[in-house]
Amino acid sequence: MLCLEGTVDIACAAELKALLIEGLSGAKPVRVSIEKAASLDVTAVQLLWAAARESRAAGVELTLDGPVPAPVLAALGSVGLREFPVALGIG
Amino acid sequence: MSATGSVDQFRHSFCEEARDVLVDLESALLELNESRLDQGLVGRVFRGLHTLKGSGAMFGFDELAGFTHNLETAFDEVRNGRQTVGSELIDLTLEALDRIRVLLEDDAGKAAAEAGIRAEILSRLKQLTGSSEPGPAKPAAEVPASGGGEVRDWHIHFAPGADMMRTGADPFLLLRELGQMGGLSVRASMAAVPPLRELDPERCYVSWEMVLATTADRDAIRDVFIFVDDCCELSIEPASVASSEPKEGFTAREACATDLTARALEEPRAACGGRRVYDKADTAASLRVPAVKLDQFVDLVGELVTVQARLSELSARRDDPEVAEVSEEIERLTSSLRENSMNIRMMPMRSTFEKFRRLVHDLARDLGKDVELTIEGADTELDKTVIDQLSDPLMHLIRNSMDHGIEAPAVRTARGKRPTATIHLSARHSGASVLIGVSDDGGGIDSGAVRQRAIEKGMVDAGAALGESEIFALIFQPGFSTAKQVTDVSGRGVGMDVVRQRVDSLRGTIEVVSKPGVGTSVTLRLPLTLAIIDGLLVSVGEACFVLPLADTLECIELTRTDVERANGKHLANVRGELIPYIRLRQYFEIGSDAPEIEQIMVVETGEGRYGFVVDKVLGDCQSVIKNLGRVYRHVQVVSGATILGNGSVALILDPERLVQEVVRTLAHCARGRSPAAPGPGRKRDGP
Repeated sequence: MLCLEGTVDIACAAELKALLIEGLSGAKPVRVSIEKAASLDVTAVQLLWAAARESRAAGVELTLDGPVPAPVLAALGSVGLREFPVALGIG
Repeated sequence: MSATGSVDQFRHSFCEEARDVLVDLESALLELNESRLDQGLVGRVFRGLHTLKGSGAMFGFDELAGFTHNLETAFDEVRNGRQTVGSELIDLTLEALDRIRVLLEDDAGKAAAEAGIRAEILSRLKQLTGSSEPGPAKPAAEVPASGGGEVRDWHIHFAPGADMMRTGADPFLLLRELGQMGGLSVRASMAAVPPLRELDPERCYVSWEMVLATTADRDAIRDVFIFVDDCCELSIEPASVASSEPKEGFTAREACATDLTARALEEPRAACGGRRVYDKADTAASLRVPAVKLDQFVDLVGELVTVQARLSELSARRDDPEVAEVSEEIERLTSSLRENSMNIRMMPMRSTFEKFRRLVHDLARDLGKDVELTIEGADTELDKTVIDQLSDPLMHLIRNSMDHGIEAPAVRTARGKRPTATIHLSARHSGASVLIGVSDDGGGIDSGAVRQRAIEKGMVDAGAALGESEIFALIFQPGFSTAKQVTDVSGRGVGMDVVRQRVDSLRGTIEVVSKPGVGTSVTLRLPLTLAIIDGLLVSVGEACFVLPLADTLECIELTRTDVERANGKHLANVRGELIPYIRLRQYFEIGSDAPEIEQIMVVETGEGRYGFVVDKVLGDCQSVIKNLGRVYRHVQVVSGATILGNGSVALILDPERLVQEVVRTLAHCARGRSPAAPGPGRKRDGP
């Protein structure tokens, strides 16, 4: 279970990448929660996107756990990414 | 580089660019003060404030963004015709810009100390505009979209470059700012996102296609991206002519469906291919380079010129065609490199001139005078080092002109002049020099008063016969002032001395022309560059000297017969014109005997044409000017030294100063006074 909390931005992008790679390298399903995230920046979005794509190719399940906070959803919507969680197939 | 380090660096970069925006804002406000109905200027001010606000927020200058937001709102009211432009709004905004400058210093202590002043400004702004309680920037939905006018659709393509995120810029914030300008439809493309393991976590791979329905024009839209436009791919086209116009009414849902879902299973190869687009976009049209790096570069070019001179000399001594060919090639390349490096340092005078608009505006208000500033030749380029040192002298000249030269409106009217006075700033090239002029149409300099004051201060003898230029030169002496009272502006006799000292240090000269009742014109003649000069290498005995090529007119022979014919007078007959000359052997007390035939280098100086007698002319040379250091800082006749190809040192002479020094010495001798030291360091007889 990977819980993203607070501001998820470039400052923690390298760490998020490492955690996603680590999660996908195992055989177990990867669950991601952004329920407590205050905001996601583009680096977080594209990491999750790339991880979702890779999970399909690797046959590892990657799911979004819990709801996406309304402010985060609104913020994503304003930059053309409202359907981001759905499109990832993890919503 | 870490993200934090990069962000700090780009915060610094933002501050620099924001200062440029402030200069433009100041100019626009002062122009608006003259043409208060000019909607173009109102738009320029609004956009500048909008840019400061948006970019300030992006780079974490929240206080600045909040403060600027209120000013932006006031000018949005002006744009929409709900508020008129008056001098109070202009002055208040100018005052606010000063406070923004402090906020840009990124000094929390200073910013906090000025919190009260900022609050006072916002309170006055509120009274002036009758707006609601000023406060921090409002959310997007509450901000007025834009001014009145026709709404049109713009197709915007935005692809952040490889390093944009590392600059601290956030594309989401930029898009939200765009959203504040009108109705925005956005389509995000994830096509370029590479496989997870190959993904650089601090880089943005997402790009956007947008349609913005707004009354704002292309410039206003581009301003949103002003701080990232050199690290992103950006196109803004009217939607009707956009080459890849998105289908009408596309929605974010469709966009995601198209670009996110459909491409989810695309081959990583295709995604990697997409990155090349961004790499191409990183090719910036211009770069902002720290001045210190530029100075280091020019220093290195200077060293290269010196080494190249050594190579040329070595090649000349060896009879080897291959070495000679390489040497010539390196000489050619070095010359091009030197010219290029000098060009890089060249900057237009515009920003220096423009900032005086504010000075003139503020001083005119404080002195109760009506003055307009006109500018000519703002695109004239000059070495950055010279420009950096010009601000103070120009400021003192303008202050002096405003305080002492320009009359009060009533006095001007009584004298049959326009009540509005003019101060004219100009710049133009003249050979290897640039002429910077500050002129006014004020009362002119009272040469009698200047002379009288100089006599009172013991600067000149009561019976001294002084020409007008000599009298005007007294103005630039330390402590000289004819002002009857010391004001906040001038009158302490300090400023003009600063002008002279600074111009001296730049190896420049000052010329003053003034007519009573008509006005005064001060011209500063300055060298284009301070780093390298084209010179003529001459020798006297074993010593070598460099004369600036730009000052040298011609070279003629001086035989012993010529000397005898002149009956001991140092005068040469050049095609019927008698030209006085100075023997460098005598002046520098070089002990060796003069050759049978010497050479006179004729130079043009402010004192007229003069000759310098040398033994031989060795040829032209590019001389890298080396400072002589503190010990020799009082030696005025030498502007520096240079290292020759054989490793020896040659002094670079300042013909103007040398002639002035000798003329002054002779004048002292003629008055029967003890002469000032005429040579580089001791007493001696005339030339």
